[in-house]
Amino acid sequence: MEINPMEIILKYLPLLIPIALLQFGLMIAALVDVIRREKTKGPKWVWIIVVVFINLFGPIVYFIFGRDE
Amino acid sequence: MNSVKIEDLRKKYGNVNALDGLNIQVDSGSVFGFLGPNGAGKTTTLRILAGLAQADSGSIFFGSENTSKSGTDQKARLGYLPEEPAFYGWMSPREYLDYVGKIFKLEAKERQLRVDQLLEKSGLKEAAKRRIAGFSRGMRQRLGIAQALMNHPSLLLLDEPVSALDPAGRKEVLEMIEGLSSECTVIMSSHILADVERVCDTVGIINKGKLITQAKKQDLLDRYAIPALEITTSNGSASLMPEWKLRLEKLPAITGVTVEGYRFHLAVKDVHTSQQEVMQDALHHNVTFEKLEVVKPSLEDIFMQLTGSLK
Amino acid sequence: MNFITAFNKEFLEQRRTRKFLIALVVLVLFGMTSPLMAKMTPQIMTMVPGGEAFVGMIPEPTINDAVAQYIKNIIQFGVLLALVFTMGSITIEKDKGTAAMILSKPMPRGSFLLAKFTSLALTFIIAVVIAGVAAYYYTYFLFGQMNILNWITLNGLIVLYILVYIAITLLYSTLTRTQYVAIGLSFGTLIFLGILGSLPGFGINLPDALISNASLLMSGYPVTNWTGLWVSLGIIVVSITTAWLVFRKQEL
Repeated sequence: MEINPMEIILKYLPLLIPIALLQFGLMIAALVDVIRREKTKGPKWVWIIVVVFINLFGPIVYFIFGRDE
Repeated sequence: MNSVKIEDLRKKYGNVNALDGLNIQVDSGSVFGFLGPNGAGKTTTLRILAGLAQADSGSIFFGSENTSKSGTDQKARLGYLPEEPAFYGWMSPREYLDYVGKIFKLEAKERQLRVDQLLEKSGLKEAAKRRIAGFSRGMRQRLGIAQALMNHPSLLLLDEPVSALDPAGRKEVLEMIEGLSSECTVIMSSHILADVERVCDTVGIINKGKLITQAKKQDLLDRYAIPALEITTSNGSASLMPEWKLRLEKLPAITGVTVEGYRFHLAVKDVHTSQQEVMQDALHHNVTFEKLEVVKPSLEDIFMQLTGSLK
Repeated sequence: MNFITAFNKEFLEQRRTRKFLIALVVLVLFGMTSPLMAKMTPQIMTMVPGGEAFVGMIPEPTINDAVAQYIKNIIQFGVLLALVFTMGSITIEKDKGTAAMILSKPMPRGSFLLAKFTSLALTFIIAVVIAGVAAYYYTYFLFGQMNILNWITLNGLIVLYILVYIAITLLYSTLTRTQYVAIGLSFGTLIFLGILGSLPGFGINLPDALISNASLLMSGYPVTNWTGLWVSLGIIVVSITTAWLVFRKQEL
């Protein structure tokens, strides 16, 4: 049984797109927040990397622990 | 307006008697200055009045009502400013004041009017839409005063209202407090005597949770009307000053010495003897001064005498 | 009414501080990915080096696998977020002095506390509802029809389970001085109830029974013992009442 990964992705594409969009949206929201905030807990550039490169959990961890009120 | 009577108020924190049978009478419409060294019980008293802490025993009367069962009724007429006012950083001052207005159940129109008025009064109009999180200490203090005035309180409790402000802001706020005396009874605590002296008509001095004395400011000044000496030394004596201060403190006719720059302020028992003593001492030790004058006592001198924080 | 005033402030705070957004996005994402992962597990195995050997051993995934994934993920992340969002709700306000500012005004402490609970509850209700709709759609697309009434019940039970932990954490947040102690105690309770639930025959009386009942329901078995439901409601009521009784007397 030979399954091509591309085939799977194409097959489920309509289901994958909303997921990707949501993750992307959350990342953008977090990114905008990091950049506009005066100060964060820990260096800003670290948070930017975390938010952009760690899927889903990067933005969540930032929102919960990274913001300094 | 509302008079306040505090009877035999006691409060213990662990082994420390924060309040040890405090009795105070604040007349309706007066501006009451609450003086005392740090830890004297000023903040505790204000917090009990604001309903944030409970006394172990004793009673408080607002007007003629005993408020051992203090409810929301009393709180609706109260304005309270803690020493370090804290806000929700994500709100703007306009939103915060609006929220406070809602808590006091002001109608939408009236509320908006009042919020605008208070923003104007506290000089925060420009910053009305900014997040409070980025505010300076002085801005927070002014917002704190604004929120305390939202409901046109009949009793206003201010804990160190001006100590965080710069001289200009301090002057402004003190003038505001002076202007309020026609609308409400004010109790303000402070350790800055000059501020109390300036705006308050009645002064209560407490130490270690007890009232030491309470009187109209003028009566107090008259009663303890021992004049003081003020000496301005000349530049040349700068190096001799610390020594001289120590010697002055030991002179029998002098009860207290404070130094401010080149100026010595001496609380004295008797003007003549003290003058002689001071001049003799100066002669013996080659201290020169430019000016020696007899001045009226300030609240500070009385405070020093009463709390015994000096000799 | 003062409760409404406080509630509006709390809910606005959750939207401003992005708590609402986080709960919504996280739960909805798991609502979408759970059925998808259930469906794709065998195919994913073939992509993992050496995984081909197991392909034959994995049975063809069913609707029950999708539901099980959904329940597990939503509960895990729902409870985690609920603890994190609730841990500081009272401690921070006491510590910073914001509570003293508001509670020296005619705002009853009960309203203040209840507004915290209800606004957090609303956040998670909305998040679970939307996650439930998304998961239903995905499951339908990948596996086929589910009983809608059972699905609604299942999501209701999940919400209730999350509310139990919001109430417990709110109580701890009232009792303790720092949010980290509060969340520590909440995790402790979570583990304690887990151990208690593993005692034979006892689990049915605990909030965890909400979850097992939900799975039973979805697999088409009748649920006869609802003790866990009443116990959960009881825990919520007792936690909030205790929090109120303590908070009423607390010095701010």
